[in-house]
Amino acid sequence: MALPLDGIRVADFSWFGAGPIAAQTLATFGAEVVRIESETKIDSLRIVQPIALNPDGTFKTGYNVSGYFNNFNAGKLGIQLDLNTERGQEIGYRLIEKSDVFLTNFTPRVIDKWNLRYEQIAAVNPRIIAAYSPMQGLEGPHRDFLGFGAVLTPVTGISEMSGFPNRRPIGVGTNYPDYVVNPGHTVTAILAALRYRIRTGKGQRVELPQIESVVNVLGTAVAEYLANGTIPTRGGNRSPIAAPHGAFRCADDSESVGSPDRWVVVACQSDDHWVQLCDALGNPGVASDPRFATFAARKRNEDDLEALVAGWTRDRRAEDVMLLLQERAVPAGVVQNAQDMLDRDPHVKARGYYRYLEHAETGRAAYDGPAMVLSLTPGVLAAPAPLLGEDTFDVCERILGLSPDEIADLVAEGILH
Amino acid sequence: MADGALAGIRVVEFTDELGSYCGRLLADLGADTIKVEPPGGGVQRRTPPFYATAAPGPDTSIAFWVHNTSKKSVVLDLEASEGQDLARELALSADVVLEDNAPGYLAARGLGYPDLRAVKPSLVYTSITGFGQTGLHSHYAYSDIVGQAMGGIMTLAGEPADPPNVIYGHQANASASIQAAQGTLLAILYAEATGHGQLVDVSAQEAVSMSQETAMQTWDLQRRNRTRTGERGLIPVPLPGMGVYESKGGGYVTLYILAPSGADFPEMVSWMRERGMAADLDEEPYRTTCESLNLGTLSQVMANPQSAVALFPQLSHLNDVVTQFIASLTATEAYEEGQQRRLSVGIVSTAKDLAENRQLRARHWFRTIDFDSLGAAVEFPGAPYRLSETPVEIARPPRLGEHTHQVLASLR
Repeated sequence: MALPLDGIRVADFSWFGAGPIAAQTLATFGAEVVRIESETKIDSLRIVQPIALNPDGTFKTGYNVSGYFNNFNAGKLGIQLDLNTERGQEIGYRLIEKSDVFLTNFTPRVIDKWNLRYEQIAAVNPRIIAAYSPMQGLEGPHRDFLGFGAVLTPVTGISEMSGFPNRRPIGVGTNYPDYVVNPGHTVTAILAALRYRIRTGKGQRVELPQIESVVNVLGTAVAEYLANGTIPTRGGNRSPIAAPHGAFRCADDSESVGSPDRWVVVACQSDDHWVQLCDALGNPGVASDPRFATFAARKRNEDDLEALVAGWTRDRRAEDVMLLLQERAVPAGVVQNAQDMLDRDPHVKARGYYRYLEHAETGRAAYDGPAMVLSLTPGVLAAPAPLLGEDTFDVCERILGLSPDEIADLVAEGILH
Repeated sequence: MADGALAGIRVVEFTDELGSYCGRLLADLGADTIKVEPPGGGVQRRTPPFYATAAPGPDTSIAFWVHNTSKKSVVLDLEASEGQDLARELALSADVVLEDNAPGYLAARGLGYPDLRAVKPSLVYTSITGFGQTGLHSHYAYSDIVGQAMGGIMTLAGEPADPPNVIYGHQANASASIQAAQGTLLAILYAEATGHGQLVDVSAQEAVSMSQETAMQTWDLQRRNRTRTGERGLIPVPLPGMGVYESKGGGYVTLYILAPSGADFPEMVSWMRERGMAADLDEEPYRTTCESLNLGTLSQVMANPQSAVALFPQLSHLNDVVTQFIASLTATEAYEEGQQRRLSVGIVSTAKDLAENRQLRARHWFRTIDFDSLGAAVEFPGAPYRLSETPVEIARPPRLGEHTHQVLASLR
């Protein structure tokens, strides 16, 4: 056994972000993942930015050149199958029959239409772990409510609780829940269910309503209301247990492409951190100023405190401030952008977090590696994301046991591509 | 009570803010999870908010509660040799050791991975830190905001005129715990199959970085940095039915009517018409514009704002009408009615809205936990997932040291 999920097959009936990322993690640790797609209901991530460029700077074209899609589907086999037809659904079920895990994040409406309800799947393969991650849950008065990450961010309270209090609840700039929280919870549940199956032989249904998954990690806001009846709201970058705590502007950096403004974050969690900060930035006398000497005083005078620190950082390089503070064990870090993450952060580079894979259409491209480093069984991104329908023949023949003639017929009927 | 999915697994954790949610996930799934805490408790036990009807203290922090359900608490002083010996004995009774201390801290107390593995090769040892166990920043001081900054997500959040925004809820910590839960379970499966344990090394910086969405690929493929774009997002001009709208009573909703999912703008107009709020949108030239507003308009404006300049005065008027319409409804009304019409409407939920959310209530998501010592029953948010055969059980978080005697006695 080389990897923890060797011998596990996953039927990946998911799309967009959260579902495919979950399946990609399973692939990284040894599972054989077959991703079902159809050109008639294309995964929109295949056709949106960022698109790989041609040598002349124009965008490449087609279904295989989006970094958005590719980064979530490495190491999978890809087949094109039209699930809108009865025959297509039969083929889908041949895969389900031969799989250990079924995964979908389609809406309950589509799950019904394609006959993918748990009782239907379990009737064919009672040992399967069938994981559903609909937006609101498979049942309930809002089960058919629409949504994707952009709607989920406000609905789950992230928008209300994040950002500065003088601003409207504008969200966090991304469809945040889609990328770690929801796929990570999904994989956690699937792995727990797999362990149970190994011990008992029993499969089960895993349901991850995305709203429940996200509200669960919404810090203490909902719990606070339930316990105390108070309604917390967004408080910017400040903290109830640290001051100063926030982002402070540093000197501009013209090499930071398109985002020359540079910022450093600082979190003084103790009076000692504050003393060290004053010392590091060349103002040791300020540490004992009664307006700032204690945590309570710093919280009382937080506007002045932040203005003071901002003055100290404004003309220094963000990296220098981080280094000065970290030398004194004060939590501090540069507000890094993607250029930093990929090219300029020597630590990320040395740890080899990003993986580079040669892809037939985009060329060499970066992929997020797994964020859990297992010493004995490190994950492997075995291949870049599949081209649309790249493995249809292989999967149909090798896994589903269809004959070349049957496959040719299904292609002619437009069911396979 | 049915066995949980992780029944039979013992987790001994030495965690505080960074790793306690990982332990909670494992504990709620049925692992026997013992939290070793320093005398007086760690930072999380001193973190507000506190349960208001009792005196603030280590047993009433809501921050501690929601990250430490279903665990046992054992107090040991790791600065004393007796505490170290007991901790080591306890750790060796476990299948999983979970910790989030600075690299080297536990090793210096005889509790490092190499020490324990030498005695127990099947042990899974999960370390969660800000920057991982290796590399030149591995010793860096960490806090959640540092993880969010260094992991590349803060630069994407906020108005361009403001400092970058941290995402609420310690999301770097949460991400690290969630990645660690997956890694721990993978290692458990492997250890149970082969007898070989291993070290699971999680860096919060790496853990959160996939939440950069497309920023990484944008730099990799196009040598462009994504930056924070604030309320306008990637859309250069205000478009009707796209963005944040204030509702009656001061709450907010977000509309994504022109996005690919759901009904299009004419359905929005029908809704306004039924509510008597369509103003002049049924008259020309607005009528024709409304009928043609869709994803295509959005793409056109995003790709080339100049091409749509002639439309701007009309779009601006349409947006005013939408703004007035939403202002005539409560946020909950707008959300529920809009979604019934298959329009992409999201409520900007407050904590109260979530506590009263019809879907969450109908699904009995919240769990009531009895705190006998406080003489109170408190509702908690539920689990992130539901497992049909092995239901997730959320049990009361422990009082500081509640299980010290019981657990230590069991070692004898």
